[in-house]
Amino acid sequence: MNDEFTGPAIEWARLWPLFAVFGTALVGVAVEAFAPRSARCLIQSSVAGVGLAVALVGTVLVALELPERAGGAARGDVTAGGAVVVDGPTVFLWGLLVVVTVGGLLLFAERRVDAGLPVFAGQASLPPGSTAGPGGPGEPSYEDWEHTEVYPLLVFALGGMMLFCASGDLLTMFVALEILSLPLYLLCGLARRRRLLSQEAAMKYFLLGAFSSGFFVYGMALVYGYAGTLNLAGVAVAVRAGGGQEVLLLVGAAMVMVALLFKVGAVPFHSWTPDVYQGAPTAVTAYMAAATKIAAFGAILRFLYVGLGDARWDWAPLLWVVAILTMLGGVVLAVGQTEIKRLLAYSSIAHTGFLLTGVLGLQASGDLAEGQISSLQAVLFYLATYGVATVGIFAVTTLVRDPGGEAGSVARWTGLGRTSPLVAGAFAVFLLSLAGIPLTAGFVGKWSVFASAAGAGAWPVVAVAITSSIIAVYFYVRHIVTMFFADPPEDAPVVVVPSPLTSVTIAVALIVTVALGVVPGPLLDLAGHAGQFVR
Amino acid sequence: MLAVVLAHFVAAMMAPALVRLLGRRAFLALALVPLVTTVWAFSLYGDVRDGGTVTTVVRWVPGLDLELAFAVGTLQWVMLLIVAGIGVLVMSYCAWYFKDGDKGLVIFTTSFTAFVGAMLGLVMSDDLLVLFVFWELTTIFSFLLIGFEPTKRASRLAAMEALIVTTLGGLVMFVGMLLLGQEAGTHRISEILADPPSGTPVTIAILLMLVGALSKSAIFPFHFWLPGAMAAPTPVSAYLHAASMVKAGIYLVALLAPAFATVPGWHLSLLTLGTVTMLLAGWRALRQIDIKLLLAYGTVSQLGFLTVIFAIGSQTAALAGLAVLLGHALFKATLFLVVGIVDKQTGTRDLHELSGVGRAMPAVAAAAVLAGFSMAGIPPLLGFVGKETVFSGLIELAHGETAGVPGWAGWLVVAGLVAGSALTVGYTTRFLWGAFASKPGVPATKVKPLNPAFAVSPIVLAALSLGLGFAGAALTTAFSPYADTLVAGEHEEYLALWHGFGLPLLFSVVAVVGGLALFWVREPLCRFQKRTALSVNAEGVYRFLMRGVDRMAVEVTGTFQRGSVAAYLAIILGVVLLLPGYAVVRGLLGDETRINVIAYDRLAQPVIGAVIVVAALSTVRSRRRMRAVILAGVTGYGCALLFLVHGAPDIALTQVLVETVSLVVFVLVLRRLPEHFTNRPLSRQRFWRMGLAALFAVAVAGFLLTTGSAREAEPISATFPEASKEFAYGNNIVNTTLVDMRAWDTMGEIAVLVAAATGVASLIFLDTRMSGIRRVYDIPYPEGVEKQPTQPGRRVWLPGPRTMSPDRRSIIFEVVTRLIFHVILVFAIYLLIAGHNEPGGGFAAGMVTGLALMVRYLAGGRYELDEAAPIDAGILIGTGLFIAAASGLGPMIFGGTVLQSYDTYLQIPLLGEIHLVSSVFFDIGVYLVVVGLILDLLRTFGSRLDRQIVRAEKKADGSPDDATTEQAVV
Repeated sequence: MNDEFTGPAIEWARLWPLFAVFGTALVGVAVEAFAPRSARCLIQSSVAGVGLAVALVGTVLVALELPERAGGAARGDVTAGGAVVVDGPTVFLWGLLVVVTVGGLLLFAERRVDAGLPVFAGQASLPPGSTAGPGGPGEPSYEDWEHTEVYPLLVFALGGMMLFCASGDLLTMFVALEILSLPLYLLCGLARRRRLLSQEAAMKYFLLGAFSSGFFVYGMALVYGYAGTLNLAGVAVAVRAGGGQEVLLLVGAAMVMVALLFKVGAVPFHSWTPDVYQGAPTAVTAYMAAATKIAAFGAILRFLYVGLGDARWDWAPLLWVVAILTMLGGVVLAVGQTEIKRLLAYSSIAHTGFLLTGVLGLQASGDLAEGQISSLQAVLFYLATYGVATVGIFAVTTLVRDPGGEAGSVARWTGLGRTSPLVAGAFAVFLLSLAGIPLTAGFVGKWSVFASAAGAGAWPVVAVAITSSIIAVYFYVRHIVTMFFADPPEDAPVVVVPSPLTSVTIAVALIVTVALGVVPGPLLDLAGHAGQFVR
Repeated sequence: MLAVVLAHFVAAMMAPALVRLLGRRAFLALALVPLVTTVWAFSLYGDVRDGGTVTTVVRWVPGLDLELAFAVGTLQWVMLLIVAGIGVLVMSYCAWYFKDGDKGLVIFTTSFTAFVGAMLGLVMSDDLLVLFVFWELTTIFSFLLIGFEPTKRASRLAAMEALIVTTLGGLVMFVGMLLLGQEAGTHRISEILADPPSGTPVTIAILLMLVGALSKSAIFPFHFWLPGAMAAPTPVSAYLHAASMVKAGIYLVALLAPAFATVPGWHLSLLTLGTVTMLLAGWRALRQIDIKLLLAYGTVSQLGFLTVIFAIGSQTAALAGLAVLLGHALFKATLFLVVGIVDKQTGTRDLHELSGVGRAMPAVAAAAVLAGFSMAGIPPLLGFVGKETVFSGLIELAHGETAGVPGWAGWLVVAGLVAGSALTVGYTTRFLWGAFASKPGVPATKVKPLNPAFAVSPIVLAALSLGLGFAGAALTTAFSPYADTLVAGEHEEYLALWHGFGLPLLFSVVAVVGGLALFWVREPLCRFQKRTALSVNAEGVYRFLMRGVDRMAVEVTGTFQRGSVAAYLAIILGVVLLLPGYAVVRGLLGDETRINVIAYDRLAQPVIGAVIVVAALSTVRSRRRMRAVILAGVTGYGCALLFLVHGAPDIALTQVLVETVSLVVFVLVLRRLPEHFTNRPLSRQRFWRMGLAALFAVAVAGFLLTTGSAREAEPISATFPEASKEFAYGNNIVNTTLVDMRAWDTMGEIAVLVAAATGVASLIFLDTRMSGIRRVYDIPYPEGVEKQPTQPGRRVWLPGPRTMSPDRRSIIFEVVTRLIFHVILVFAIYLLIAGHNEPGGGFAAGMVTGLALMVRYLAGGRYELDEAAPIDAGILIGTGLFIAAASGLGPMIFGGTVLQSYDTYLQIPLLGEIHLVSSVFFDIGVYLVVVGLILDLLRTFGSRLDRQIVRAEKKADGSPDDATTEQAVV
């Protein structure tokens, strides 16, 4: 206590992309306060766009300069006094997150799909059905308003996510968790159409998310009680040394995992997923489904591999059970869905299970056979394939519209392949990738996580994973069949022609999905090149 | 070899343009690609003749060890010729089968060409994974081809059924492949075959792969999808369902047989299922009326036959197998193409309607007869050559020459296959008769004139069936490299038309005679079959399973995904209870000595605890909202008392204040909510939830016990008293912690408070909270009320209450409020200043001020609140935040660090010496924020809700919703 307090050194050279993102978000807040309402949308989206571009460039530059560690097995630095770790996996995830966020930003800015209106509600607190303006009836209606705060919120969420997967200690991880979660809770409640559903979604997400965050803090405190430090590397040292109050570690780690598994939507913490995915504005769903999963898996990997790597045999059996439940739960529940977004939500749950299967592939680097893929590499690659396809597929769902909003019901999509082959074709490719059909990115992703889990001896999980894939193929393909091989209904939904914002997003996602299926090598190598976590 | 496959895919991509340019003639252009492939395949003969293999390896994904490895040996070479060669003929046939402008022609040409490529890739793959990729690709393209006429429901269902069955099989196979690759340490097929692993995992892997093979080749119990797939256009049936795709399963069996025929279960499953399939489908074929369906069942039957042959795994059988494989591809393609011609030219496929077609199209009929004879095994056609050798192989089997198959089982297979051959002869005859014969009593079918080019392909194929029948020696030479990889029989076998008299010939004769007899009794047989048809069939089972999956999904969703947050939370809590709860229980039980509990220090503690518990229980039981809120408040006050008893008056004070403010806010909000909680959830669920909550509470208590007694290190707070004096110059540790030692935290917390206040305000005010403040003198007097001027002696106690209706006023309350309001404010300021050393502090002071405002509001309504604090809450909050931040930054000007504290002693008259610490400014910031927050809460939940209530009442009374009517109560 009496020692002079010295602040941690901030390695700007490694951390500046992170600061760029947070800075962009803050600029966004300032714009919101000072720019005139009419100009805000343009300014905000440009600011966010520039910020993301800088972040992307920064990530690449930082990635190129990472120093090698442990004889080339890992690259990177522990920075900011151990709070933030910028290593290979971190920059890979950063890059991925920024790319996905760019997709999200483009979808956020789209206004042509809904007859010139933005995709967000005019006013968040507006009760459903009311359109009256600020001064009561007769004033300009809220229809014309827009929540331009969504752009800073998006960037804040990105910042939180980037910090989340780079956290070197549990406290930073918790702060990042909140930074990424709060904007998402808000964004979920901002759908222009079907306000009640959207508000309910935000409410549920917030309540349950708040609970799980509470578990995180509680668990974190208990882990501290065990290890005497919140630093993940320090926890690892304590775990390796053994002794101490094992109960604290077990309970604490379990609680932290509850929160992390909640974020990725693993069974039995998945319940919020369908409701939130359905209720949130689709642009937000697209972003959230992809990015949250990427960030949270980054955190899970770091927590389990770095912090609890030596206690592998304690957590692996539990994670086996969770992975199996998640995969089976996701696909079985998906079969009965009649809503596109709910269907995709359940499918995302199943993908969480597949990713957990990959997480189970952890082996000591010495045990890894020559040429065998490491679990980290497999999961990173899977996240890339999943993230891209997810943004793409949700982007497509915004295009098919009924008078009251998006045509959510699966039945409404009947025969779409005949009226709009392009849209239906893109949708089909994304579905096939999610199903893991060869020559799409999803196949290579699935293959890599299964191979890594199998290599680590998790055969039963892999068997369940494949069984789940089989069931999953059923409902994905069933949807393709109704799109292409059935007559469209009389009052078929309209397929709108979006602005380049959405079309570019879809096109890029499509190209990447196919390209990663045909030549996955470069990205896999990149994921492999990321190396291990730096401790 | 990759180029071959890619060429097809490229051609497929060009197909749409070609179709637009050439119409149906595009097929001819596209057929050039497989044609070149065929020529190339012939050129490989020199390399594979002596058992050599041509290989190409392209590294695809080095990281994943995925390579595009291709290899062509004899088996692959034969398949290559069949796939490419028949591909050429069927595609050129398509050019006449379709009409320009047929719907879906583009998709058809694309998928068909791509399918050829995928099929070629499948047979050439030398890597299990590549094989799987192409395997699934053929499934997808076949799906597109079967569903060619998507508007037909039957077509759609059939496509779906075929897809699901084969994909499921394929994925099961994939598991097997992974397992096999794991065991063998490589996925390269040629390496696995050269050095086959063994053991139980390998057995399982092989059996799993066989599931895939059986499903693809429509072997019982997966046979039902193939007849359904006949909804496809005839060229598709001819190509996919006769020559190529369904052979993929057979190919896999043939591929694995040299290395794995001895695996336990191999013979049992394949021989049994193959024989059953041959008999079952042959039997079914006999009663078909649609000649295409008849052929479809015939195909299933023949596939069963082929499975049995390749499954035997002897040299003779292998030789025979390749011959039958080739023969079947040739004759079945011919027959399907002929059916297509008949269908197109006559418009029907019903064999009861067709009559005299043979006379109208003699060349087509001749081709069909040749192909039919080949199918039935009549000399001198290729089918006969193959079948003769098959029977030789079967006799070896029956003699027990194959390891693992007892002789009697061999004889059973022989009997089954001879019976199957008889059925084959029977349905062949039925087909030929049905399609071409002139039937008595049936008018001759009208046949449109035939374009000769249309008939070229079937005639070429039929001619090949005939010609190859005489080429036994050449075929033997060509096929023997594959056969040599298998176990040799007792005598060397060869392909020829004439083997001399012997059992094989006898079997052939029996089959032909039996088949003709079956044809003879066809009508009674049909009736018999109809009577004995089982009500349970494989397709029904499949449908039942699919429905079951759907149903189960819906049920599960309904149970676990009800959309209720409470239910979701229950699940999460349940898991937390289960896992960490379990760990705690184990920890507690494992080491009892560690838990060191002092029951209580003073008697007051358990008493207060009991009160809290009772209050908590009553809260949960309460049905009225108000009662629940008050009872919850009791638990809070109880906690405050516990703090007090423990010797922490400062925390107790804060707790009491917070509890009071929240109680009032609750009450204000509750005015707008129904009196009772809803009737849902029903009581049973409520008890269940109470149970869960109680259990969870116990678990949390367990966590606390464990953690509380786990302390090993010195608590950090031990140094606080000293630090409090030394750095923060104060005696009240709680306050010094807040404003100095943990000032950053406080900074963050007040920022959060600001956000919360803003959020609450924005929910009620929607846009801005600036608009609301109105002083009493702003309100115009309503007409008919005489203004009473105020003057000395005519003052009111409080200005606001006169805006309220008299029945809501309480003069005593007004008087008391008037008397104590300023006293409370002075007390608040005292708390603020004294807080550094005595109980109090900015937060408590803010709360007290807030309470004072609250009293004013309660006594005099919303105008009274504006009179008491005619200031916007936002300004207070903002100023507070600014002061706090500025006081934090201030020390930097003097060279200190952020939030550093300084102290000074001031002499003030009357009050004496005051010890002033710079952090008091920080505390003032906190104070203002808290006051602003409470003002905000009062304005939103008090004033604003009042107005809403008044408006709602007005609306209910039917008077116009107008701002002016509000003044009526003035």
